[in-house]
Amino acid sequence: MKKIALIIAIMAGKFASCLSRILGTGGTSIPGKIALRLYPHILSDLAANISEEIFIVTGTNGKTTTTNMLAEILKEKGYKFVHNSAGANMITGITTAFIKETDWTGKRKIDYALLETDEANVPLLLQQLHPRVVLITNFFSDQLDRYGELNNTINLIKDAVRDTDIELVLNADDPLVTHFKNETGLHCWYYGFEATNYDKLQGEASREGRYCVFCGQELLYQRFHYAQLGKFCCSECGNQNPESNFTAHSLILTPKIEMKINDIEIRSPYQGFYNAYNILAAVSLAKLVGIEDEIIQKAIANYEPRAGRMEQFEIDKRKVTLILVKNPTGLNQALATINTVPTPKAIFFALNDNVADGRDISWIWDADIEQITALDSNIEAIVCSGLRSGDIALRFKYADAQVDRIYIEDELQSGINKALSVAADATYILSTYTALFVCRDILLKLQQESITSADLIDQKQKSSESQG
Amino acid sequence: MADFIIAHLYPELMNLYGDRGNIICLQKRLEWYGHDCYIEAIPRGSKIQFNQYDLIFMGGGADREQKLVVNELIHQSSELKLEIEQGLPALFICGAYQLLGKYYESSDGMQIPGLNVFDFYTRKEKNRLIGNIVIAASLRGQPFTVAGFENHSGRTYFENEELRALGKVISGFGNNGQDGQEGLWYKNLIATYMHGPLLPKNPILADFLIETMMNRKGLIFKGGLDDHIENYSHEQTKKRILG
Repeated sequence: MKKIALIIAIMAGKFASCLSRILGTGGTSIPGKIALRLYPHILSDLAANISEEIFIVTGTNGKTTTTNMLAEILKEKGYKFVHNSAGANMITGITTAFIKETDWTGKRKIDYALLETDEANVPLLLQQLHPRVVLITNFFSDQLDRYGELNNTINLIKDAVRDTDIELVLNADDPLVTHFKNETGLHCWYYGFEATNYDKLQGEASREGRYCVFCGQELLYQRFHYAQLGKFCCSECGNQNPESNFTAHSLILTPKIEMKINDIEIRSPYQGFYNAYNILAAVSLAKLVGIEDEIIQKAIANYEPRAGRMEQFEIDKRKVTLILVKNPTGLNQALATINTVPTPKAIFFALNDNVADGRDISWIWDADIEQITALDSNIEAIVCSGLRSGDIALRFKYADAQVDRIYIEDELQSGINKALSVAADATYILSTYTALFVCRDILLKLQQESITSADLIDQKQKSSESQG
Repeated sequence: MADFIIAHLYPELMNLYGDRGNIICLQKRLEWYGHDCYIEAIPRGSKIQFNQYDLIFMGGGADREQKLVVNELIHQSSELKLEIEQGLPALFICGAYQLLGKYYESSDGMQIPGLNVFDFYTRKEKNRLIGNIVIAASLRGQPFTVAGFENHSGRTYFENEELRALGKVISGFGNNGQDGQEGLWYKNLIATYMHGPLLPKNPILADFLIETMMNRKGLIFKGGLDDHIENYSHEQTKKRILG
């Protein structure tokens, strides 16, 4: 009976996937949802087919990019694995990913599972399957409305891993992450950065984790990489960065990331310090799996930015960059990257407040928008769009952006058109999650049209030349 | 010296959810009205001369931070009460609102004493009251709406019938999810569960605080800022809630 229920659930899930593909909707969670309803044990049954190991990647920022990079490395090595791509990181999305990789009997053997997991879903997932490793990238304020305060989220995960034989892979530079060792007693691996040329001596005003988690004393910092990530110690109880097993050094961020991790030389087409952390996290996991340096280097070098992770488009000879933003730290990092470009630019910002975006949009006030509205930053237009276009427009206004350069266009298509119509060399399309793929489709279409029309002009020129 | 000084109480402890948006808003609007405004961050361990400031502001914080703040301020609560009584403009958000009351009862029944400035208490419950909220308020007989976002596990109950709420809930939870009241408005003090950027998209409230700040200095408030983005945002939020 159990077996029949499993097969029915798999078939229903696969059918729903198929249907949503035909209909052209994303369909990353509905198949899993249906299958779970039909057979609640589906996830633990399918997870039993993983012959090597299961890895969970959680934390606030960098889950998707880290998991994608590790997937690229495993692919390069030739392994078969389950991977929930495109940020579908709740139980339903993870179930969908397992259904996609299995056959209809639910028995196909698979080497690994790489599961990007929403922080609040970690306890639920751990009831269903037994990973070897849980990697925690960092903790920042993000979508607080879903789970209450950040401490709750951290405690949820801590309670879920306690008394297991899971190994933790932790960011050694984040004081909100490093204390997992003391409070869970689990075996921990650490990754972190040595001093870099991009470090600051002063911290941001509204950063998290200002106080020692053990004794409440304000932490002293020798330097900050960004936000609360850096070299810290507590003068009261001696809490400080643990020694890293995987240490990144000699970091260069522009034009593209270069660094050394232990003695492996890494080059990546990515930009931004936060992506350097993602690479470091992925490489650390790959080394724990025992993958050769050459394979890691090749996979990272060939891995191009994906949907909304500084993804590049060219529309009418203009450089357009799509960036997913979802919390102050990520937005600060995106703006800092935009600020490195000295030429005139246009910004488009789609702010939505659906559940997957976080219904509370207050976080835009914690971001340091002021860094980009300084008079010399060459911003020709700020187009505000999405369900909460007014809120983001206000944020820019109160960051002293020139009011006559702020435009409100609720509709994404007309907003993007507006941003592309102003004279600027570069256009940045910032978007929260639920508007991201719509924006991306609009950009892909515009890119295609601009290629086609360029071809037409080219052909016309050629034909007139041959006539002449 | 700056024309106006705002005391931002314990920003390192009480800084949840974009609360600093309110400070930015007051400072910028004062600037646009032609006055400079200095924000003084008050750290732990300071003796506060409340009467040196034109407005005091405190944002929300988690339980641990809230306890630390009570310990800081408890010795000065009578001075704070006196200044509020004399019309000091003030804005207290979420956790800061709760500690103006008699006590705060955690879910395991433990009572954390408050500053006892007003006759109300707060009881924590397990499920949080989260979501967009819109309330009906009035100023000098003129009705207006306030739109924002709330996220709190505490339920606040007034014990004194003379306490006046900031407004009546149109959609959302408010003080306790039961009696339809939201926040507290006493003289020039506003306390509310609407966290984060309350003032930017509710310019009537921002200007009420600014006007009282100016009047207390003998200045006349003329108003007249172009608030079309503010109003757009207010209406958009309202529509998002009320459909």
